[in-house]
Amino acid sequence: MATHAQEAAFGVTIAEADSPAMLSKIRDRFFRQDDRRSRFERTVLPHLDAAWDLARWLTGNDADAEDVVQTASLRALQFFDGFHGVNARAWLLAIVRNAFYTWLQQRHRGHEIADPFDETVHAPESGGGDPEVELLRRADGRLLRKGFEALPLPLREVMVLRELEGLSYKEIAAVAAVPIGTVMSRLSRARRQLQDFLIAHGVKEGRP
Amino acid sequence: MSCPYTEQDVTAYLDGELDLTSALAFERHLEEHADCARALAAQRALREAIASADLRFRPAPDLARRLRRAAAEPATPRWASWQGLQTVAALLLVAVASWSLGRVWPPRPAPGLADEVVASHVRSLLAGHPADVASTDQHTVKPWFTGKLDYSPTVIDLTDRGFPLTGGRLDYLDHHAVAALIYRADKHVINVFTWPTAYGMDGAGLSATSRQGFHVVHWTQGGMTWWAVSDASEERLRQLAQLLGSS
Repeated sequence: MATHAQEAAFGVTIAEADSPAMLSKIRDRFFRQDDRRSRFERTVLPHLDAAWDLARWLTGNDADAEDVVQTASLRALQFFDGFHGVNARAWLLAIVRNAFYTWLQQRHRGHEIADPFDETVHAPESGGGDPEVELLRRADGRLLRKGFEALPLPLREVMVLRELEGLSYKEIAAVAAVPIGTVMSRLSRARRQLQDFLIAHGVKEGRP
Repeated sequence: MSCPYTEQDVTAYLDGELDLTSALAFERHLEEHADCARALAAQRALREAIASADLRFRPAPDLARRLRRAAAEPATPRWASWQGLQTVAALLLVAVASWSLGRVWPPRPAPGLADEVVASHVRSLLAGHPADVASTDQHTVKPWFTGKLDYSPTVIDLTDRGFPLTGGRLDYLDHHAVAALIYRADKHVINVFTWPTAYGMDGAGLSATSRQGFHVVHWTQGGMTWWAVSDASEERLRQLAQLLGSS
């Protein structure tokens, strides 16, 4: 419990702040500001670019992305005591992802975000001939961006983590809190969907 | 035509996630099966396009500064002053008084808490060591939490009922530090989280849900809230919940 010195420092008597949780919160806020700053430098800052990339792709705009990243970085400071691993980037990205889905759920007032995906496997489709492969390779950046935006959230997040941020399957599984098999099936669905999107638009625009 | 390989194998091969033996076997298969080779070429072309398009978003240069400022301040700066603190202390007195007079809060777990629970569970497994204090002795695990938490969790070993306690660790859920107790049921790891409920929540019985293949059960009992998560069956989790005191 609080000592007399702490009592005097806060001008609060034990009788008034008689909850141990309250006292530890007071202690945290007033004695650990420097600690918080240095924790921020160590945990959040090194991976801010990755955190921003994920939040921006999930929310679709800068303002909401900043809200999500701010919530996530405050939580990362709180959670830091529970972090024992070596992979700070995956750990932070998991927090960003969770912050996004909490934000999304609050926005939609708790409607369940359905995950209607059929996770069954598909035989490799013959994917057209060489002209289509060429079309894919030369796909325009603007069109690719649209293709990513058109991906449903569960597919978009694994694509961002794999293709843009280079996480391994194991890391993606940890960030998204799903088994590795689910990561694999979502990635192959996402790539299939992107291919179909690009080919459909490429053909429409009359490219060879 | 039948092919033992799926699009997911193509994906995994492309990402370098197949072990060496499987990768070599797949490469041999490519020589024989044009469809697979074409599917691989298409996926590879897509990846090249993505890489050259540079689709990464980069934050504004002053984002770090804004976040740093927000991080350095307490979450609710309004009561960072001495007057604010005394106001809060007075409010706390009122809150404690009204809490002890009766329950004013409808018992409802925070939305998304089940997801947080699953996320903590998966993180703990992938981190490789779910327990910070590894022991089946409840007299070792329970005191380990002293000084780390502002409450003392109920810790019981249930080996003779089929649920050996394997250890404990500190975790964070619902914005505060909580105790995580690790039990085992056959080969399944079960994470059990417990913390005091903020206001007197009546035990509304056991609720069960599932998220992404994991089963989650939740109950409140004697002023504590409990969450158990595992890939073990819901039936097993209910058994454990029963043993831990759910009604």
